[in-house]
Amino acid sequence: MATVVPVDEFVTDEWYPGFKPALDHAGWVVEPFRTFDKADEERFWFIDFHWPRGLTPMGLIWNEDGYSWGTQLAAESLPLPPGRGITQRIAGTHTYAAAIDVTDEWEIGERARRMMQNLPRFLENFEGTWAERREEVESWWTHLHSVDLRSLELAELGGYLRKARQFHKRAFEIHFEIMYPLLANYVGFYGACTEMGIDPGEIAKFLQGYDTKIMETDRALWDLTRKARGTGLGEVFAAHDATGMRAALSAHGGAASTWLTEFDDFLRVYGYRTEGSCDIALPSWIEDPTPALGMVKTFLLKESDHDFEAALANAVEERETAIDAARSSLSREEQQVFDAGLASCQAANFPWWQDDHNYYIDLRVSLPMRWATQQIAEVVGADASDDTIFLFWPELLQVVDGERKFSEFKGLVHDRKQYFDHWYERRASMPKVLGTIPEAVTDPILIEIFGLNSHFLKAVQAAGDDSDVKTLSGVAAARGTARGIARVLSNADELHRVQPGEILVCESTSPNWTPAFAKIAACVCDGGGTLSHAAIVGREYGVPTVTAVGLATVVISDGDEVEVDGTNGTVTVFKRADRPDEVPA
Amino acid sequence: MTLVLDLADLSPDTATAVGGAKIGRLVEMRAAGTVVPGGFVLGVEAYRTHFRASGLDEQIAGILRSLPATPTDRQLTAASEELVGAIREVAVTSELCDAVAQRYADLCERRRDEALLVAVRSSATGEDGAQSSFAGIFESYLGISGAAEVIDAARDCWASLFGPRALRYRLERGTSHQDMPMAVGVLELVHARASGVAFSVHPVSGKSDRIVVEGSWGWGEAVVQGLVTPDRGEVGKSDLRPLRYTVATKKVISDYDPASRRVTEREMPAELQETRVLDDEELQAIADTVRRVERHYGHAVDVEWVLSQDRKPGGPVHVVQSRPVTVEGNAGQPAAWNSASFALKYAFQASR
Repeated sequence: MATVVPVDEFVTDEWYPGFKPALDHAGWVVEPFRTFDKADEERFWFIDFHWPRGLTPMGLIWNEDGYSWGTQLAAESLPLPPGRGITQRIAGTHTYAAAIDVTDEWEIGERARRMMQNLPRFLENFEGTWAERREEVESWWTHLHSVDLRSLELAELGGYLRKARQFHKRAFEIHFEIMYPLLANYVGFYGACTEMGIDPGEIAKFLQGYDTKIMETDRALWDLTRKARGTGLGEVFAAHDATGMRAALSAHGGAASTWLTEFDDFLRVYGYRTEGSCDIALPSWIEDPTPALGMVKTFLLKESDHDFEAALANAVEERETAIDAARSSLSREEQQVFDAGLASCQAANFPWWQDDHNYYIDLRVSLPMRWATQQIAEVVGADASDDTIFLFWPELLQVVDGERKFSEFKGLVHDRKQYFDHWYERRASMPKVLGTIPEAVTDPILIEIFGLNSHFLKAVQAAGDDSDVKTLSGVAAARGTARGIARVLSNADELHRVQPGEILVCESTSPNWTPAFAKIAACVCDGGGTLSHAAIVGREYGVPTVTAVGLATVVISDGDEVEVDGTNGTVTVFKRADRPDEVPA
Repeated sequence: MTLVLDLADLSPDTATAVGGAKIGRLVEMRAAGTVVPGGFVLGVEAYRTHFRASGLDEQIAGILRSLPATPTDRQLTAASEELVGAIREVAVTSELCDAVAQRYADLCERRRDEALLVAVRSSATGEDGAQSSFAGIFESYLGISGAAEVIDAARDCWASLFGPRALRYRLERGTSHQDMPMAVGVLELVHARASGVAFSVHPVSGKSDRIVVEGSWGWGEAVVQGLVTPDRGEVGKSDLRPLRYTVATKKVISDYDPASRRVTEREMPAELQETRVLDDEELQAIADTVRRVERHYGHAVDVEWVLSQDRKPGGPVHVVQSRPVTVEGNAGQPAAWNSASFALKYAFQASR
């Protein structure tokens, strides 16, 4: 008997108050984004970890440009033999995603035949292709960044907004055009390695230790920390909250002023990133540097600086040792297969790209649209700068095109903000999955990135009898063992709560969580495979990490004492924070 | 003396016809440059002559005729006991006894050991063929000494042609014992430090790029009969590079027991249970030997090997038996790297 989680509570034809979409306001390739209906219960849906707060009406654009356009176009183009990409349903403000399966056997075979032709071609040209795409993204970015929005009339802002959206959509075409083939190649290599008897826990190590743009940012942040420590600013950081830090440093003057100048230089290079993936509702560090200042504040709590050079050297040494050890157990014929597969994966390195691309795409592509909506809010006299992101795309176009007055939407904006808050509160208690839980899924993004592997599927099938769970299991994502106090976070805003040596427990991490890995002792995620962000960063930073635990954020409470075994993929809950009299196991 | 022949006098072309499958293969392997134990064989003709002249042929035919077409296990066992009893009651002619005694004395003299220990091994024709594997059905006796014991052991080997399993096997295949006359090999017993089995392909996956070696301390009977979990090593076939090695906990050893004057099984001495049996040089020497045997036959083989107690690095590996190997998988050589086919196999299947 298949396990079915009913969708009834989310079946509605309305999105936010006052909006019933027509299907023609955003392009899709195979299947558009919409609300749940009862028939959706036959499919398998999982809650998307990217937006733990929920999405505003404008934020839902990502579902259109990323999933309905980007993944579906890429899956059709490669093509993926068994799947047409990812589709989604909205439950309030939250997104559930599902794979679109190809069911006809002949068609799967025909798609396989085309993939066999296209994939090697793509991989051979990867370096050049990624360089060209990066250049294209940079070119769009430079152009959009150069425009002084304050000089634009409302209609011109509409033109800018449309262009910013075009950039957004194009960026996600590129994102998935690259991601599917790279991932398919990696998973193929992974399979070849396991077939040759290589320990699966070793395989990701073969591709680690290559510097990315994201690591460059983290290094710069630590340079600033070192300077703050060196110039005796530790006390200023310790005495103030991250939100008031800039003011406090300004008031302090002297070395603090010098430091702020350097901090601003840092922001000009690395500050165009949001505290979360692809969400127009999120400010960049330029707009609000609190997260970056908060990071420096908690970094200063550590006794010593994170030694990036040593960590990278370790990662490289571990990589070379792992490769040598694996090769030595292979026959000469197998070594030829291994060497060719490894060379292919090193030239088109998925784990590396999976971190690197976030700098170019995920962390900044929504910013031009955000600037436009804020300037439009200014021009139309909205009460708050974020009022305009509570309009849906077609509504905001009506405003910039002069078809409707913004004032007509004021009541709706108020209702929609309440609606957002209501669903924000509901997030923690929402089902992790909906519909019919399958034995297995076929889309490699769902398996390797979202962690919808057999561990996860078993865990969610067993949900309900977790009352006395002491040991949880998941994917052994980064090796090592650590014990400490659990910090169960629902989004990156709360990262400043994490103290050095604590254990991060969350649905999943994304690049804006990366700096925290320099201070945490271990990481546990509900979702994520061996190639999820947490797994990759956990390995680079040497932080024991277990992913695809399924219900970690439900079973583990903030303050619990837990032990994370990243080598064997287990998490043991020793002492419950809410039951202090319980004897440690 | 055509009834009992020295192995050294047999030609690879006729050895199987004269001395049965097992002895035939030893002669073939020796001709191909493999080190095999020396000895002699009571040939197929010795068996035929003994059974015909003594009247055992008619007696056996009578007992088998009285068996129903599909006998019960009990009927089969009773018939087997009657057959074996009849064979053991008939004395061997003095002519054959003298011939065996002479060959045994020659062997002792060559090895400068007047009570030389030997292995007496069944070597039926038609045995160990690729199609009908009689592996383990016919008897072997290790640690025999003296001509009289050799004769007794040889007669027991003949009798094992009529054990219950052999009878059942032939009934199921509709063949007769007449089609598989039994020669008996008498081979010097290599004083084994370690012994075991090796396969020229991976016996489960069928990977043909490696040689798999299983071994334990002492003689190989405990390994062959599955009484001990042996150490297991893998060696690359093309470059003889050791690939992996697993040390097993070995609880049983086949060892020479002076009291019963046989190689028998006993508990492995504690200090040897967890000790690695083969070093890299030994693994490579065994693999090299197996590779030579496989090349000689042109098909995959398994080989029973022995490292003698006085073997030094670079010294020979003794082969006491080899057979065509039966493999479950058909992995063969690894498929060359191809991004798309590996992606198809692993990235787009629901198997993980």
